[in-house]
Amino acid sequence: MSRAATVMMPPAPNREDIGATWEYLQAGISKIMINLQDGMDMVTYMGIYTAVHNFCTSQKAVGLSQAGSGAAHRGAHLLGEDLYKKLIDYLNDHLADLLEQSKAHAEEALLTFYIREWDRYTTAAKYIHHLFRYLNRHWVKREMDEGKKGTHDVYTLHLVQWRTQLFEKVSEKVMSAVLMLVEKQRNGETIEHGQIKQVVDSFVSLGLDEHDSSKSTLDVYRYHFERPFLEATSEFYAAESTQFVAENSVVEYMKKAESRLNEEEERVRMYLHQDIATPLKKACNKALIADHSTLLRDEFQILLDNNREDDMKRMYNLLNRIPDGLDPLRQKFETHVRNAGLAAVSKVASDAEKLEPKVYVDALLGVHTQYQGLVKRAFNDEPEFTRSLDNACREFVNRNEICKAGSNRSPELLAKYTDVLLRKSGSGVEESDLDAVLTQIMTVFKYIEDKDVFQKFYSRMLARRLVHSTSTSDDAETSMISKLKEACGFEYTNKLQRMFQDMQISKDLNQGFKEHSKQLSEKQPLDSTYSILGTSFWPLAPPNTTFNPPAEVQDDLNRFTRFYKNKHDGRKLTWLWQLCKGEVKTSYCKSQKTPYTFQVSVYQMAILLLFNDKDVHSYEDIASITQLTPDALDGALGILVKAKVLLQKPDSTKPGAGQTYHLNYDFKNKKIRINLNIGTKSEAKQEEVETNKTIEEDRKLVLQSAIVRIMKARKKMKHNVLVGETISQIKGRFVPKVGDIKKCIEILLDKEYLERLDDDELGYLA
Amino acid sequence: MASSDATTIRLQSNDNHVMDVDKAVAERSLLIKNMLEDLGDAAASETIPIPNVSYRACTAQGHRMVRTPPWRPPATNEEESDTRKRTTEIEEWDQKFMQVDQEMLFEIILASNYLDIKPLLDVGCKTVANMIKGKSPEEIRKTFNITNDFTPEEEEQIRRENEWAEDR
Repeated sequence: MSRAATVMMPPAPNREDIGATWEYLQAGISKIMINLQDGMDMVTYMGIYTAVHNFCTSQKAVGLSQAGSGAAHRGAHLLGEDLYKKLIDYLNDHLADLLEQSKAHAEEALLTFYIREWDRYTTAAKYIHHLFRYLNRHWVKREMDEGKKGTHDVYTLHLVQWRTQLFEKVSEKVMSAVLMLVEKQRNGETIEHGQIKQVVDSFVSLGLDEHDSSKSTLDVYRYHFERPFLEATSEFYAAESTQFVAENSVVEYMKKAESRLNEEEERVRMYLHQDIATPLKKACNKALIADHSTLLRDEFQILLDNNREDDMKRMYNLLNRIPDGLDPLRQKFETHVRNAGLAAVSKVASDAEKLEPKVYVDALLGVHTQYQGLVKRAFNDEPEFTRSLDNACREFVNRNEICKAGSNRSPELLAKYTDVLLRKSGSGVEESDLDAVLTQIMTVFKYIEDKDVFQKFYSRMLARRLVHSTSTSDDAETSMISKLKEACGFEYTNKLQRMFQDMQISKDLNQGFKEHSKQLSEKQPLDSTYSILGTSFWPLAPPNTTFNPPAEVQDDLNRFTRFYKNKHDGRKLTWLWQLCKGEVKTSYCKSQKTPYTFQVSVYQMAILLLFNDKDVHSYEDIASITQLTPDALDGALGILVKAKVLLQKPDSTKPGAGQTYHLNYDFKNKKIRINLNIGTKSEAKQEEVETNKTIEEDRKLVLQSAIVRIMKARKKMKHNVLVGETISQIKGRFVPKVGDIKKCIEILLDKEYLERLDDDELGYLA
Repeated sequence: MASSDATTIRLQSNDNHVMDVDKAVAERSLLIKNMLEDLGDAAASETIPIPNVSYRACTAQGHRMVRTPPWRPPATNEEESDTRKRTTEIEEWDQKFMQVDQEMLFEIILASNYLDIKPLLDVGCKTVANMIKGKSPEEIRKTFNITNDFTPEEEEQIRRENEWAEDR
């Protein structure tokens, strides 16, 4: 493009000669428009400014304005208008010329042309704006103050003219050149993106607010740039992704889509207007993700099955970009986790009867840990996914193959595992790890619906641990209780804590009793320890057998009873013989120098002590002296016989009437201390059954008390509202059945805690 | 932008007087300021011809601008220019400055209009306004030395049209 012909400035015109003045001005403007790179001298600058000034202030508007006659009084204004119109004419000519030239170019060359001319034009516009300042200050200002639309200050005028005369005619071609360039880049070619940036800037500058020239809008840019750009983008990616998906795996496609999305974001940063970021993202998301979302989601199951964490993360990130993209994933995830949980359970459930609690809980935990990790790593630890995980876990923890027999199995097994952990030498878990394992227990516990069942089993087992002092450590016990308290509240652990306290109080009590006994200075045949357990806190039942304790025990007992009654008058002591135990030392064995010590239950002790007097006793004798029921007696004897402490004659497997028992003087054992106080399998089984039996009864009470609490607060309530409220109150403990609640309401009606009112309402009777 | 080392620039009036002016002072004229911006450093060292302003007006303005107390920055913000427009009061210093013969006053007004020095233009116009204020048409004619080119009929008509504005 050579426009070397320097525009010669005519001499400065006479201020009276309007025609000459315009000639001069036009030459000046042309110089600025076309030859600005040659520089501009001060004289010309001042000359043009002065010419504009003179033009506007000229009194005698002759030679230019033919319409002078009728409007002589408004002279200066008319002259301003003339100048303004002349400027427009000049710009139109200039732009028409440019338009003509632009036709010679296409594509990138057109871009180059457009940008060059735009730069030249806007720079010139800035100069002319300054040079025409006098016009701006007076005529234009007046016109605008009068509210005339379509009059702009000189710079804006330039932009407006550019837009109407050139831009609207070439913008499509320019844009298609831009789009071609961008497509080239998308196809991996290197382009000069500075050009695009300049085009964008130009489009943005043309966004003029029709009503207020001081404000700009993005309308022009949006219509002429953003719209076609987005269309082209959607088109490009729709075509590309369809083709890519047809030829590649979904996993590959996700990688591709991810990199494409990043590219587009980079593109915005590099050379697009920030305004396009959101719609462009939307367009890309639609073309690259939403349109293929079904395909992606179908792949999700495969990824889950193969545990392809990275790919799942990628899929999560992709689908997260489109609205509602993740919901189907969450559903699939939930189903998958549930199935995984059920599968893990059925793997260990082959022999439901002999199922180790640890194996079962580990199976549950394993699934939970695995998928919690997945949520954390692949799904950004998103709360919604966590909820899906929780739902799934709740399902498979409470309803699985093990639980088919009875829904109480899960809490029962969990409680048993906890017992194993907290019992001395039970688990082999290091004490330092214990707390971590207990925290895991709590993870499963959270999902258990029948928390009351867990509570029941736990308290029984805690009682056993405390009574037999087999706890690993008090710290671990307290820590577990406080964990439960945190999860279920004070009420849930109240009894457990009281049990703990009772043991502490008993310790002090025994201390006191020992000192008391010393003062009596009687000979103490027994070294005894007593535990005083509050009836309402401990899940213990009185013995189901009569028992006549041996005299030695009875003496000590009486002494303690007196001591205790002295301290706490009016309390009733019931002796739980079935939990009592002791040690007896043998002195009759010939074979051994150091005497054997037997750890025995108090029943066994009573039997053995009989042999202090006589070497042989008949079954009937033993029964009548100890007053034990056959069940209890048979159990105690059975172990003694099995361990060959006593010899049963005639030799038969079962203790019973007609048998005689002989003290075995030839007793031999490798150990010196021998534990004979072994609970039989059947006892444990029985306890389990009993526990389960009480659960139903207890639930009724819990339901009734909940109903009464609610009614006491509300006084009157609709039947169905009451049922709903009860469910929501009880939910934390177990999932109540509506039928049970209705039954309980009936019971309360019968007991006259409640009354029936009109309209299906119930009232509270104080 | 003209760099700061060119602290003075040279102006040439239409009667070919050349004078050096502090650049900061000269830039009170938006014309000069814009020009210096547009043409850049190279221009700042040239003599700037000012075809429409006489030496007399130039120096007067120069003086005024130099002596404008520094605590009064050029009024650029809207609020100030607004209040200034509404009141006809003129600050004492300005008043003194405007105590010149009429010809000079008009020259200053024209020059400040041309050079685009808004504060000065405002003060000038206000001074003229104060000269008109409270005077009868005859007195105004006398003050500004205007010959009455209305016919008595025309004058009567104008008077009737503007009766509402009469101060009675």
